[in-house]
Formats: sequence, structure tokens, C-alpha cells
Amino acid sequence: MRKVLFYVPLVLFLALALFLLSGLFSDPRERASAALDTALPDFALADLMQPQHIWTPEQLRGEAFLLNVWGTWCPTCNAELGYLTELRSQGVKIVGLYYELPRDPAFDAPFDLAVLQQDVTQKLAQHGNPYQFNILDLQRSLALDLGVSGAPETFIIDANGVVRAHHIGDINPQVWRTKLAPLYQQWSQP
Amino acid sequence: MMRILGVLLLLCAVSGQAQEILSFENETERQLYQQLTAELRCPQCQNQNIADSHAIVAVDMRQKTYQLVREGHDRAQVLDYMKNRYGDFVHYQPPLNRYTLWLWLSPLLMLLALAGAGLYRRVQQVPQDAQSAGAEQQGLESELDQLIDRYRSKKE
Repeated sequence: MRKVLFYVPLVLFLALALFLLSGLFSDPRERASAALDTALPDFALADLMQPQHIWTPEQLRGEAFLLNVWGTWCPTCNAELGYLTELRSQGVKIVGLYYELPRDPAFDAPFDLAVLQQDVTQKLAQHGNPYQFNILDLQRSLALDLGVSGAPETFIIDANGVVRAHHIGDINPQVWRTKLAPLYQQWSQP
Repeated sequence: MMRILGVLLLLCAVSGQAQEILSFENETERQLYQQLTAELRCPQCQNQNIADSHAIVAVDMRQKTYQLVREGHDRAQVLDYMKNRYGDFVHYQPPLNRYTLWLWLSPLLMLLALAGAGLYRRVQQVPQDAQSAGAEQQGLESELDQLIDRYRSKKE
């Protein structure tokens, strides 16, 4: 009994050390969206390039896809465009959710769609265009409903329009291979 | 000199513009808004509440909170709205459920364990101590007797 008790502090210490060690390698930003495993929230948002076209969740059903939250103002998003374009050429369907910055009425020019379209066209020509189309979320309302905390973020939406995975941060070959590709494969099975 | 003055003026202008001017129906609504924005946590710049943060998502959440409060939603409804999107993470006051229960329970359990261990030691050690002390006393006494005997035999 005494011998066992003798080791108790050591065991407790080791357990605490292991717990803290695991904390060193965990990402505090990693958190599951509350939208996981629920249908895409209702929205009616214009296409970025053809603003007369209004996208709704019903129109996005039928095929699994990546919903990539991005903006030309976000350097990480620009950096991942190249790799996403590569994924597109491998047959991954990627839809952009354009995350527009809020405007300060005192400092910023009022929102101008033509300027934004030009900016986007230029960025996509420069880095590659991974998107089938872009949905313009001017008020960031869909982003809020999806629990987006910033850009870039990516969701995997299955063929029935259900949100299946949420990734915060950029997509690079390693993240794709280890985390997202298996999920995409799983949810794009017919 | 003029340049410094100019910069100072510019700074004043910036801080003046950074203030959001929000109007409320009544004082209760204003207090509810202030309480909520202080209690909701910014998902982007962690360890700041949305009242403090300038992150885009915090701006949006403040706006949404304002809108919901103005529409007459109560505290629980606004909190639910945010939790439905950003999870329990978004509220600084964690809910009591089977995962977080241990936060409250573990100090109590540790205290109980400590008290238990103390009690156990006391019960175990008191008779043992008494016994061993008695034995020691006897040993010492017999040793003393031997010494006295030896001393006496030498003297005779």
C-alpha cells in the first residue's frame, strides 16, 4: 500500500505534464462550427460576376463541393488560390463565398461592384481561378450563419446541401491530404 | 509645429470616428446590449469580447446583437442565436453539461479525497504510534536496566 502511494505524486505529475504537452501542439483556433451536420442556412445571394443571378441553397444541391470563404484583401486566401486551382483540375468542385470587408462610411469609398469584379478578375488571372462561381456575401450574413470567424475558411457541403466539415485556415497540400481529402471523398460518394 | 498640430488633430478625428453611435428605445435595451457585447467572445481574436475587438466578425456580431436587441429579443434569445452559429465557445460563461461538470466537481472531489486521506492516516497511525512508542519505551528501559546492572557489577 505504502509503495503504491509512493508513486502517486509521480503519476499525477506525469499526467499533468502530458496534458500540458498536448496543449503545446493544439490549435486554439480549431473549433467545430455549430453548423456542422445541418443543412446550409437559408440565403438568397447574388453571383459576384453575374449579379442578376441569385443563388439559393436549393441550387447548390446535387453534388458535393467545397465552399471556400475568401476575399482579395486576404493574403492567405490569395496564397491558397494556386493550390485550389490544382484541386479544381483534379475534379474537385469549389464554390467561392466572397467575404467582403465592412465599410467605414468615414474613410472608405462606397461599395462599387464593378471595382470589386475587376479586382477579383485580376487576382484570379494572377493566381489561378479555382471557382465554378462566386457568391457575393456583401453583408457577411451567410458567413455569420455558418459560424465563419474570418478568411480563409472552407466547408465541405454534401450533395444534399448538408454542411459536413469545416476547416479554419488555408488549404495546402498537407492539410488537403491529411484532413480534407478523406472527408471530401467520403461525402462526395454518390 | 504646424505639422505636429496637424497630426494631433488627425488623431482626434480618428478617435472621434471610431465611436459607434447607437440609439436605443430605453435604458434597459442599452444595458442589455452592453452586457451582451461584454459577455460574447470574439471567435477571431481570442480572449477579447466582441465589445473590445475590431475584428470583422466582432463588428458583425455587435451589429447583429444590436439588431436583435432592437427587435425586442431577450438575453437568452440573443445568446442562443450566437451559440447556434459559433457554439458554446462564444459565451464567456460555460454551460453546465456532462463535459463541463468536472470543472466544478473536481475541486470538490479533491477536497474530499484530501479529507479522506487525512482521516485514514489518523485512524491508521494513532494505534500504531502508541504501540511502537510503547515498544521503544520498553526497549530503552531494559537497556537502562542492563547498564545499571553492568555498572553495579563493576563496582562490586
